[in-house]
Amino acid sequence: MIAQFLLTIMLFTILLYSTMTYRQAPIIGLLTVAAAFCGLYFVWFPSHATRLAELVGISRGVDLILYTWVVISLIMLLNLHLKLRSQMELITLLARKIAIADALRSPRPDAP
Amino acid sequence: MGLPAPEDVWVVIAAYNEAKVIADVIADVASTGHRVVMVDDGSTDTTAERAAQAGATVIRHPINLGQGAALQTALDFVLAQGAETIVTFDADGQHRAADIAGLLDALSRHAADFALGSRFLGSSVNLPLMRRLLLKAAVLFTRATTGLSITDSHNGLRAMTRRGAARIHLRQNRMAHASEILHQIAVSGLKYVETPVTIHYSAYSLAKGQTLFDALLIILDLFARRLHR
Repeated sequence: MIAQFLLTIMLFTILLYSTMTYRQAPIIGLLTVAAAFCGLYFVWFPSHATRLAELVGISRGVDLILYTWVVISLIMLLNLHLKLRSQMELITLLARKIAIADALRSPRPDAP
Repeated sequence: MGLPAPEDVWVVIAAYNEAKVIADVIADVASTGHRVVMVDDGSTDTTAERAAQAGATVIRHPINLGQGAALQTALDFVLAQGAETIVTFDADGQHRAADIAGLLDALSRHAADFALGSRFLGSSVNLPLMRRLLLKAAVLFTRATTGLSITDSHNGLRAMTRRGAARIHLRQNRMAHASEILHQIAVSGLKYVETPVTIHYSAYSLAKGQTLFDALLIILDLFARRLHR
């Protein structure tokens, strides 16, 4: 039961995180919500997890929960990558402004 | 629309560590009478100094950002300077300045906003078979994803009107920008034409070219870009 409560708290934290992510990358936000809800469902209905696990050939429900965590981790990694890309776009804009401002300040070679 | 006067055409070049060849490239372009703007993308060699000595207006990125980012910087700069006609040109010496006239003529004759150079309508000197197959695969991919009817998707030699250039907003900093430009041309709905050009491959330009692995990274880059705003 303790493990179930701990996992629930963690999965709710991920749900909260997904709402923040949704604004920037809707697909990632939706994937995270789906994965977190799957996780919550399997944590509280482990027998269903076991049945589903047997159905897809994983054998143990607890393994299915573990796999769900792996999926969530991968989605978060992808999200981190997308955030880095966004940061890079901001850095690019900043560097571009600086480069153009510098070029406008220095005299052109064909200027009299 | 008539042909623009040579001094009304701005040729933009993105360069990174091209000190070996940049002076010759800029001298070749400058001989046409066009204005030359080179964006030095954070080079660690003397690319910027050599380009300035050869007569280019040089804009320097404080850090290396990639060819796509450098090209967008050049477009922003020349548009702010009031450029009406813009040509993009590679820094590694594989393009011929003599082909610019054909691109400008195509823009004028077809009243188009983009004239795209095509090595497969023109010719390629020393193009290796593997590179040819990779480029052909890229054309099929671009046709499928953009709907553009083109024969060469990764040719850096292009001409565009001010109206066309204003529709280009590159967010792919690195090599995927070539596909991004074509995507934005397709989205703009503006008229484009293809023009034969000659690409001369040297050992130097081949060493800087893209590999199959780079092509896979480009596809990943394009996919990742669509996942976020």
